[in-house]
Amino acid sequence: MAATRSQNRQMFWRIVRHLLGANRGRLFVILLALGAGAAVTAALLNLQVDAKRRITTEFRAFGANVVITPVADPANTTMNQSALSRIPAPEYGGSVASAGILYAVMDAYVGRHNNEEEPVSPRFKIVFAGFSGEAFRELAPARTLERSQRTGLPAVCYAGSAVAQRLRLHVRDSLILDTSPDSDDKASNSTLDCIVEEINSYGGPEDNQVFITLAPLQSLLKRPEQISVIQLSVPGTPEQISDYAARLRLDFPGLDVRPVRQFTDAQAKIYDRISGLLNFTVGIVLALTALCVMAAMTNVAMERRNDVGLMKAIGGATRRVLRLFLAEAALLGLGGGVIGAAVGILLSIWLGKQVFGVAAQPRLIVYPVAVALTMIVAILSAYPLRRLASIRPASVFRGEG
Amino acid sequence: MFLRLVADSFTRRPRRKLLTAAALSLGMAVVTAALSVSLDVGDRLASEFRSLGANLVVTPAADSLPLEIGGVDYRPVNAGAYLPDSDLPKIKTVFWHNNIIAFAPVLEISATLPRATTVGPKTKLEQPEIPILLIGTWASKKVPLPDGGTFVTGIAKTNPWFQIKGRWFSDETPIVRKEFPPYGHSYLPGSPECVVGEKLAARRYFFADQAVVSVISATGSQDMQVCDITGTVSTGGPEDEAVIMPLATVQRLAGRGGQYRKLYVSALTKPEDDFARRDPKTMKPDEFERWSCSPYVSSIAYSIKEVLPGSDVRVIRRVAEGEGAILTRVRALLWLVTFAALLAAALAVGASSAASVMERRTEIGLMKALGAGSVTVGFLLAAEQLVLAFVGGGVGFSLGIILARLIGLKIFGVAPAPSLLVLVAILALAAGVTLLGSAIPLRRASRYEPAPILRGE
Repeated sequence: MAATRSQNRQMFWRIVRHLLGANRGRLFVILLALGAGAAVTAALLNLQVDAKRRITTEFRAFGANVVITPVADPANTTMNQSALSRIPAPEYGGSVASAGILYAVMDAYVGRHNNEEEPVSPRFKIVFAGFSGEAFRELAPARTLERSQRTGLPAVCYAGSAVAQRLRLHVRDSLILDTSPDSDDKASNSTLDCIVEEINSYGGPEDNQVFITLAPLQSLLKRPEQISVIQLSVPGTPEQISDYAARLRLDFPGLDVRPVRQFTDAQAKIYDRISGLLNFTVGIVLALTALCVMAAMTNVAMERRNDVGLMKAIGGATRRVLRLFLAEAALLGLGGGVIGAAVGILLSIWLGKQVFGVAAQPRLIVYPVAVALTMIVAILSAYPLRRLASIRPASVFRGEG
Repeated sequence: MFLRLVADSFTRRPRRKLLTAAALSLGMAVVTAALSVSLDVGDRLASEFRSLGANLVVTPAADSLPLEIGGVDYRPVNAGAYLPDSDLPKIKTVFWHNNIIAFAPVLEISATLPRATTVGPKTKLEQPEIPILLIGTWASKKVPLPDGGTFVTGIAKTNPWFQIKGRWFSDETPIVRKEFPPYGHSYLPGSPECVVGEKLAARRYFFADQAVVSVISATGSQDMQVCDITGTVSTGGPEDEAVIMPLATVQRLAGRGGQYRKLYVSALTKPEDDFARRDPKTMKPDEFERWSCSPYVSSIAYSIKEVLPGSDVRVIRRVAEGEGAILTRVRALLWLVTFAALLAAALAVGASSAASVMERRTEIGLMKALGAGSVTVGFLLAAEQLVLAFVGGGVGFSLGIILARLIGLKIFGVAPAPSLLVLVAILALAAGVTLLGSAIPLRRASRYEPAPILRGE
């Protein structure tokens, strides 16, 4: 009994093998159709997973999306900068760019390099923004207009373009901050010298400000360890950002944590639209793949009339005949899927480079999903083969259409 | 005879032809939907991006450096320059006036909520003096345009993320009828309306929904103003701690009648490319014309500067560039997908039309045996395929438009307009693909020897 069954199985696979090998050209065409479908599906699935992430990174170009300030008026009160080191990393991965900034409106004038004692420009009231670390660059993306070599001095300034224009400021000039009300009083601790290392255009209110190294500004203002605001650029989808802000609110009960609604609200709206579009495109491609394969399978059904007629005439049960063809379809789906998905992932890397300038990371999950989808589509597309069941051997052999 | 043969082929096996046409129209429907959505998506997304708020800001050219921290300008009223609001209607006369969605002039001054004692039935509430920011702007002002129309604009449109509980104030001071018994009655200006920031409203109790604001004007005189609170606003910015009043009221309080300090403009723009970033001064006349005839944010800024004398129009680049980058990317992605969809549809349709030719080998053999040349047979089949292509393409187009409508409504709330261009493209594509698909089996068919086919080999 068992021997017959194993013999049966052997026979089954032998027939499948012969069915596949019978017409090399047709096999090639079907594999091509399935492979092309799988390739496009895999490429788009991969790109879609990647695109959503990329789009959220694009949104970070808008700068800070969450700010932390002391509870009362942000202009007058400050908080301890130790809060900055307690910013947690988001649970969903990625890293938060954070910068603590101390704002001060101060008198300043330009002291030229070779003539430090003589102020050559009138005094201006300017907003100075003390920063620590380099994270603020990520939060205030800028085009650098002028840049000098690093001086390594304790106090350096990055001037906004509007300030530079008004003060006729250039790199390597020194900018002198003066806290004393009249310029005659030249106590050493009432002024601060900084060298302008960069002139940046931010395309926002930062153009009217001068960024300056934090520690010297703090000591000039006699506000050690104090900052006025923490700016955060939080990665992720809008929901993730607002969850993260809610968590920060629990972590910093004494401080005011608020998402920058201008950007978070808009991001939520736009992100929804874009991900809707991407879902729609993947749907379209899947539909087209199915159509493609269905067309190829109809072809097969048409050609197989004689074979089926013969099988039935020598006593093949309809169920077994159908199982043969389904096995063939599944094998074709597997073959086409494996080849296609591999091509598709390569394709998506290239596409990612074209669209986002960065190669899309291949996601391994996409591979089995694309293969499985192709197999399902291939089996479903074997639907036209259903008509083979109703074939009557006699009429086939008579050559009736 | 030719037409009869074509017609015959359709009536003889209607089901088979229907199947091919169905595959064709399905494929074309999907391509139509993809094409319509991609054609439309740029405009739709661009208007979505306006929820980011203004992308242009106008300030006086002769201004001093703004002392702006966290969105609040700390300059006193008498420092810096101002612009006249009587010029504002001119903005809607520039070449790109249809792209200008909204604008709102802003005059910010510092003010205080004076110390107040509110006596309730059982409680006595002492409230200290609070320094606040007083913002004067338009909520939704009807601006009369030079061409006779009106344009409704204001901060609610330029800054769509402002959430208002209650309603925005009316920009006109209401006129109240007052009775003076011996003399009859008189119409007097009532107190203007205002909106209070959410956080300020949480900190301060406003009796009878009225706020009293004390302002020191440019001339140094102190002025008190009562206003009726119509709502609280939540913005996530400095406005949360501010009182917002109609522009005209703040202008009067500041002693700056008809003047504003900052103007926000929200415009629909085209993402900037390398050409747009060039300095217009270095362009040749024809290049300049091309530049000013494209809705780049910089060329819109340029045209606004032309109509507002003494102004400096700056692009809020963080908004404009972020928008441009995302728009370009999404658009590229969609075109790519549309192209992929086109290719897949072409493959599917081509394969099915190849199948439909292949199955007719016997028929072709018979025709040839009866003396038809390969060319005649080719023409006959091509004519059939073309009929199929046009019918299938047409049905597919209508289906696709419905699909595109559904998608457009679901994603953007607006359906894309059916475009003639898409119809032409679809019909051409359907014809091209079916012909190409049948060309390969036809070529094989032209080499057939009639005899073996008729023998059934």
